[in-house]
Amino acid sequence: MALREVYKPKDITEVLQLLDKYKDKGKIIAGGTDLIIDLKERAIDPEVLIDIATLEELKGIAFKGSYIEIGAATTFAEMMDHVITKEKTPALVKAARSIGSPQIRNTATIGGNICNASPAADMLPVLLALDASIILKDLEGEKTILLEQVLKGKGKIDIERNQLLSYVKFKAPVDGEGLSFEKLGFRKALAIAKIALGVFVEVENNKCKEIRIGSGAIHNRAIRESKIEDYFRGKILSDAVIEEGSELFQEEVRERLINRSSGEFKREAIKGIFTTAMKTALSTIKS
Amino acid sequence: MKEIKLKVNHKDYHVAIEEDMRLLDLLRNRLNLTGTKEGCGEGECGACTVIMDGITVNSCMVMAFQAENREIFTIEGLEKGGRLDPIQQAFLDEGAVQCGFCTPGMVLSAKALLDKNPKPTREEIREGISGNLCRCTGYNKIVDAIEKASEYRKEE
Repeated sequence: MALREVYKPKDITEVLQLLDKYKDKGKIIAGGTDLIIDLKERAIDPEVLIDIATLEELKGIAFKGSYIEIGAATTFAEMMDHVITKEKTPALVKAARSIGSPQIRNTATIGGNICNASPAADMLPVLLALDASIILKDLEGEKTILLEQVLKGKGKIDIERNQLLSYVKFKAPVDGEGLSFEKLGFRKALAIAKIALGVFVEVENNKCKEIRIGSGAIHNRAIRESKIEDYFRGKILSDAVIEEGSELFQEEVRERLINRSSGEFKREAIKGIFTTAMKTALSTIKS
Repeated sequence: MKEIKLKVNHKDYHVAIEEDMRLLDLLRNRLNLTGTKEGCGEGECGACTVIMDGITVNSCMVMAFQAENREIFTIEGLEKGGRLDPIQQAFLDEGAVQCGFCTPGMVLSAKALLDKNPKPTREEIREGISGNLCRCTGYNKIVDAIEKASEYRKEE
């Protein structure tokens, strides 16, 4: 490591000034649970670290009108314990709970999970299903952009070096809408997702009015499964329709992972995981 | 080099750290608190668990400079006036220590759990120590010990 300077800024403005000053040489650290491994393995070699883990401005969960906003430095443990996420988005709490271990959840943050852009990031499928946006700040001001639009590949995210991810926002599910998260891992604790799915579904007059499926670990990044979504829109969500949709998903995964050693296993597994996710999402709909 | 202030086991420290130092290195090499162990060094095993501002963290996953102005408890901070903490006593009484390498981390995870949930179920105990690996495979005894510690703490 060739770290020259480390900072614990007192507010967002100071973070932005440091990012602007050091540009490519600076790196934000929050929970550090991925970053410190990267430093150790020299996968990254920043000269400057800027710690945002304890910045109050970047922590917390709140309602803003019909939206829920989550500060980028909010930890998974904080998301699991907060009354808003527990009541409005139990699927998000389930995703947070599935991550790492108690020690990891105590420090790892939602912003870090997004910025690391792992294809298997646990939080991304649900956030994609919620059609979440992220708010990026720089010295000029701030802009809001859909999460889906910044995820570009494994570890690749479209955020400029002078920008700070400050918070995440999404519409809180209301009556007629359901949300679920399912993850396939090989053990209970400290499991990297083999498949993760987030499903949002809105039903009106018995028919699927809107559906958003976020997937993890079956592409080079977390993505929206638009082909599968298109199949369901406008249909009555009977068991037979869900079965057919899950077979379509299976075919999609088969084609996508054709040269992958895990392809055969994942295309079998996706059917069951998706069916469970779909039925769980429907069961959470309040009318 | 950088100077930071922090509190460890009720004591205020003013120490010089290197920029690339982890909290684990600071505790072991600067403060000579070698009860905190380094196992995997990547957040999987929990041997380096310490309590920071009331919650457990892997000290191999925290940079030393991030600990500025924070309050840390290590295994050395648990005894009171020469007497073992009830959790430590319960680990001894139940034979929950084999090679002992995972024990400091286990005890601190148990403390964080019992501070939040004084009477956990066995399932909750297993969840509470799910970030701590014991390669002597002594988990049953450890869960027994944490149950016993919960009783000891009630008696105190």
